[in-house]
Amino acid sequence: MSSPESVVATPSRIRVVDADVHHNVRAKEDLFPYLSRLERDRLLEYGLPRNTGLHQANGGWRGARADTFDAGEDVDPRSNFPMFQRKLLDDCGIDLAILQVELTPSLVALADVDYSAALIRAINDWSLEHWVAKDPRYRLSLTVPMHDPVLAVKEIERLGDHPSVVAVYVVCGSTRLYGKREFDPVYAACVDHGLSLAVHFSNEGFGMNPPPTAAGFPSYYAETYLIRPQFYQAHLSSFLFEGTFEKFPQLKVIFCESGFGWVPAFRWRADAAWKELRLQTPWVKRLPSEYIDEHLRFTTQPFEESEPPTAVDQVIAWMNGARTLLYSSDFPHWDFDPPEAVPARLGPQVRRQILADNALLSYPKLVPLAGTVRA
Amino acid sequence: MSEPRREAHLVCRVGDLPPGARKLVEINGRSIGVFRLEDGRYLALRNRCPHRGAPLCEGRRTGLITAEEPYRPVFQRDGEILRCPWHGWEFDLTTGRSVFMPEAIRVKSYPVGVEPETSVEKFDVSATEGNVVLWTADPPGSQPVSAPRPEA
Ligand code: FES
Repeated sequence: MSSPESVVATPSRIRVVDADVHHNVRAKEDLFPYLSRLERDRLLEYGLPRNTGLHQANGGWRGARADTFDAGEDVDPRSNFPMFQRKLLDDCGIDLAILQVELTPSLVALADVDYSAALIRAINDWSLEHWVAKDPRYRLSLTVPMHDPVLAVKEIERLGDHPSVVAVYVVCGSTRLYGKREFDPVYAACVDHGLSLAVHFSNEGFGMNPPPTAAGFPSYYAETYLIRPQFYQAHLSSFLFEGTFEKFPQLKVIFCESGFGWVPAFRWRADAAWKELRLQTPWVKRLPSEYIDEHLRFTTQPFEESEPPTAVDQVIAWMNGARTLLYSSDFPHWDFDPPEAVPARLGPQVRRQILADNALLSYPKLVPLAGTVRA
Repeated sequence: MSEPRREAHLVCRVGDLPPGARKLVEINGRSIGVFRLEDGRYLALRNRCPHRGAPLCEGRRTGLITAEEPYRPVFQRDGEILRCPWHGWEFDLTTGRSVFMPEAIRVKSYPVGVEPETSVEKFDVSATEGNVVLWTADPPGSQPVSAPRPEA
């Protein structure tokens, strides 16, 4: 594993870490320099794959904050590097932002896994060269072709030691739950290279994947928005009872944009189920809630809006949120949260943990920076 | 905490705010969006969303979208609803009230009108086209000078 000291020009004071930011290429041509002749011709002919989702609808304006189209209607704000610096990093005071590229879901939905892997290599190389290398506040969550674990491991071996690559990025939509043992080599590679596993919704019911619910497809975007916790609950159940955290005691899993209001109830049910059914999975040696405390982290956006507003404080206490929540903005998506979404009433200590310390402690390569946190 | 004074503030010349345009102004440290609708009405809302503080007045204008029954959406009052650029909360430009909870959730709206004469003394007044003026409280006298609202 590379030494964290080699990270270029790390900010000396870290107050806010943003664990979920979505950049993107402007056009397919951006990827040409990173592809072989054959792959380039194919991309030229057929264009970038598009995951348009079920609904041909999203929130905000084309899924982004309507005030981020600085370069005009036709320039995707996700591809606007200077606008990111201004409206995210500078305006929100973000000291470190973890990039998770917008294109990932489309790329991991391709049935031709070799072409998928080629495009993924290109997007990772492009992200490192055109985003990470150009502003020391960026880190990268590495896209991998998780639908082919052998190729996923290869990509981790190729770039996992880059000092600015801090996690492996996968989406919830999958033909198999992520605790299944065929994914173990991916987690072994994560641990070997000092990477956490970032899991973000997307691709449920898309491409080769099964429908997003046991009863098929919802009609409207609001439904899709609301059913997301079950994707994460399914993968979390799988991690817990397949024994993933027994096999990989160093692995940290970051659930991005999962919401977190559901976490306390899940912990209670998981603990109850384990007490009653433990004999079927005796390799699960501890209460599920203990594994969750140790291995799972949850990004905050969209921060739960409870009624009364302070009710969420109790939820945070029940899930040890002062240790398990990581601030995220989801910039430039329309459901963006500024750092102020983490309420001041939680107190300066807890707020600082959620805004910075917890993230630094959740990515092995960032741990050495944990001492630089300032209030 | 002081009671707002009935102050008139120059926004711009009438010609600088053509129908369909908007302008952000800063008055007493507050950012305010002034809108001129296509029918000539002037409207102004505070440029700060009560949800998470987004610059509300940078949002898109749309209509009032309702439905009496499922699957039958109706679009009315084109241009009179402002959607927050972040999470999309909808506000009635004419009142500042939110569409979904008009009583509980609203943003401050200000009267705006056209003053033909030198009522705003410190500014250079164009007598020919008039000035767009915003009041931070009720304008002196009665109603703001504003184009009458056409029937819906
Ligand atoms: S900040 Fe305006 S809707 Fe959230």
